[in-house]
Amino acid sequence: MIDLKAKKRMGLAALRRRLGKVQVPVALGMTLVWLLLFDGFRLRFESLGLLVLGFLVSVVIMLVFPLPPITPGFRFRPVYLVRMLVYVFGRMAVASFRVTVQTLSPGPVRSSVVAVPLRTEADLMLVCTAIASSIIPGSVIVEVSQPNHILYVHLLGADDEKGIEAGREDIWKLEERIVMALGTREDVDALRAGPTVDDRREDA
Amino acid sequence: MSDQVVAVLDWIAILCLLAGALLSLVAGVGLIRFPDLLSRMHTAAKPQVLGLLLVLVGIGIRLIPEETNVFNIGTLILVGLFQVVTVPVAGHIAARVAYRTGRVHADLIVRDELAERLAAKRRADGGGGPPETRA
Repeated sequence: MIDLKAKKRMGLAALRRRLGKVQVPVALGMTLVWLLLFDGFRLRFESLGLLVLGFLVSVVIMLVFPLPPITPGFRFRPVYLVRMLVYVFGRMAVASFRVTVQTLSPGPVRSSVVAVPLRTEADLMLVCTAIASSIIPGSVIVEVSQPNHILYVHLLGADDEKGIEAGREDIWKLEERIVMALGTREDVDALRAGPTVDDRREDA
Repeated sequence: MSDQVVAVLDWIAILCLLAGALLSLVAGVGLIRFPDLLSRMHTAAKPQVLGLLLVLVGIGIRLIPEETNVFNIGTLILVGLFQVVTVPVAGHIAARVAYRTGRVHADLIVRDELAERLAAKRRADGGGGPPETRA
């Protein structure tokens, strides 16, 4: 027979271990989503309850579905974050217009698959850069080489050397903005220490 | 709010809605017009994201002053947020599968650095065998 008490103790220890792994920033993010979902930002008494309930639900979710922590983490720089968002939306608008023109003009549109080596090492920066370049029209991520931090991007309409280089540089600029907004100090150092655009061009 | 402010907001909302709808239309045209999947991804995933965001902004401007209980800004922000976060994932998977299964029109691709890399890797592996899924 299994000793019920010992089993319970083991369960409690496991629970405590999992509780220790709950990442408060992530839980706060999920609470934010919860509040948005239930209109918790109006000034009324229920909002407080929604806040508490949302946090509890987030903690329970993280207990049931534990995820590896985000290493090495991230830090917000609000000014750069705003600049990054403005940049991304600006690029989205311009590129949407360009893709619209390419769509509506007759004739085949030729494109290229380009390798873009990133300068930072962190996975989070890789993911953010990939997402941002994916929502900007004209570039689709075909393949990601995670150990080497290389994005393989399909560039619509890049049919000569100039277009290819321009597309590559656009993604580097995007990476720079994102790292400045979200990266840790090491990421920013890696960005500064990394080869400049010109060096990369010689390698590529 | 004065009538003038409401009129200006109305016009902004109209412009956003129209621009968003037009971008979505372009996305539909692109789906038919482009011959290969990779090019289609560009129009299917992209102008449509900006189009949806513009439509959401338009709705946000027009509906919130009316105090409806159906929509609130939080819902609209969530719709936009999840669209932005999920579209790249789906797009990447579709593009990757298309590339790996050879559904690429070689005559439409000018330069292909991924193919060069995969070929180099295959040579390094001693030839034969399928290319590794993760380079």
